[in-house]
Amino acid sequence: MGTAIVVTSGKGGVGKTTSTANIGTALALLGKSVCLLDADIGLRNLDVVLGLENRIIYDIIDVISKDCKLEQALIRDKRFEHLTLLPAAQTKDKSILSPETVKELVGALKELHDFVIIDCPAGIELGFQMAVSGADRAIVVTTPETPAVRDADRVIGLLEKEGIRNPHLVVNRIRPQMVKRGEMLDIDEIVQVLAIDLLGIVPDDETIIKNANKGEPTVMKPDSKASLAYRNIARRILGESVPLLSFEEAPGFWGKMKKVFGAK
Amino acid sequence: MLDSERLATDSKPNILLKGTKEGLLLLLNEVVSFESLLEDLSTLIHGEKKSLFEGPDLKISVDYGERVFAASEIREILDCLAKRENLILREWGPSTAAKLSLFNSSRKFGPQTLLKGTVRAGQRPVFEGDVVVIGDVNPGAEIVASGDIYVLGRLRGIAHAGFLGDWSAIIAAAEFAPMQLRIADIVSRAPERDGKPLRTFMEFAYLKEDSMAVDKLDSLHAWTAMARQSS
Repeated sequence: MGTAIVVTSGKGGVGKTTSTANIGTALALLGKSVCLLDADIGLRNLDVVLGLENRIIYDIIDVISKDCKLEQALIRDKRFEHLTLLPAAQTKDKSILSPETVKELVGALKELHDFVIIDCPAGIELGFQMAVSGADRAIVVTTPETPAVRDADRVIGLLEKEGIRNPHLVVNRIRPQMVKRGEMLDIDEIVQVLAIDLLGIVPDDETIIKNANKGEPTVMKPDSKASLAYRNIARRILGESVPLLSFEEAPGFWGKMKKVFGAK
Repeated sequence: MLDSERLATDSKPNILLKGTKEGLLLLLNEVVSFESLLEDLSTLIHGEKKSLFEGPDLKISVDYGERVFAASEIREILDCLAKRENLILREWGPSTAAKLSLFNSSRKFGPQTLLKGTVRAGQRPVFEGDVVVIGDVNPGAEIVASGDIYVLGRLRGIAHAGFLGDWSAIIAAAEFAPMQLRIADIVSRAPERDGKPLRTFMEFAYLKEDSMAVDKLDSLHAWTAMARQSS
């Protein structure tokens, strides 16, 4: 029996889908069997980020309406055998979906995998309730901006009401330079307001956009800070204690020279 | 010392002694026989605890509630009190001001609630009576009470005290950085902060002639006394 984790944020565009894809892939890299469930019904893009769009035949609606078997709809990732995706439907009638049916589906997926990662739609309406209904744990994604933190706070309150007591926080798109200059909300301040455990911080990284366009999760390439950040998050989910990344840039040639001469 | 037999039959003393701002207040039992009342009074003033009544002039008030005295009985009590020369009888009656002030000192508000945890954006808990929040009130959250609101954490959202129209309600917080404050039907907006650091000392908000005032928590005691006097 696996664990279902919902990735949610309230506000749109903070990186839920990217985080779902990367955390899921990172867990698969660590040898776990993972299913990514795209619960963003009507707007489907988890498959695009993973580069699996052209393999979709059946989707979540087909499974729930029993037009196909669950195993038929699961798309096996091209890189990892034990990473699968259950895509969202785009155009089909979604009235068949309800928190109860989604919960049942998540239960069935948990039988087959170590982890079921659910990509939650933005907002707090029915789509949110459905995505949350089957989850055992939650990851709240936010960015260091006041509106995103406000929505995350609201979502944490709603998660508590749904019985998910200890959501974890991922602060995405941090720009170390801006934080240094004091122009960005500080991590400590965000954690202080939201009062939940910090699972990880992910720097703003251009490679993420580049890789999303290519359909390759960033974690596949170990050379970027964002990739490392997501790998660390996956390790923390498995219970390892991994220190937070520091974003101090390694000093360049001139930086080293200055250090030698004691200049600031 | 009281003998054990009397202690068993009568657990409540016949004379209650209370200290007030204006001196001592003696509350006489209303139903017990006059003889035992007089005996207790005499023991109280001249017996074991007499040191309480020693020293310079001491104002006392005597409240006898519903009891009906004969004229001779009143004289006996006053004689008993007069044996101590430093006692000055300030008040004598069935419902003295000293007794009333005793009851007014605890506000007759409804229940008090302890709320543990963070009040988050979008939440709006409503309480009857006073509420103490052990946690933060986050921006975007609103906490409402018909009595006072005390936040043992950061108050960064909206607090509405005395929402049923109680003008004497107050809002206090360990870290006072509210978005908006409301007491009864008066609303006050937080001053624009433009980058200034948060004020981190304890403060409380109250109503002062139709408008809201904020003061350090040290002043709460003085304010309570003042508010009681005026009401």
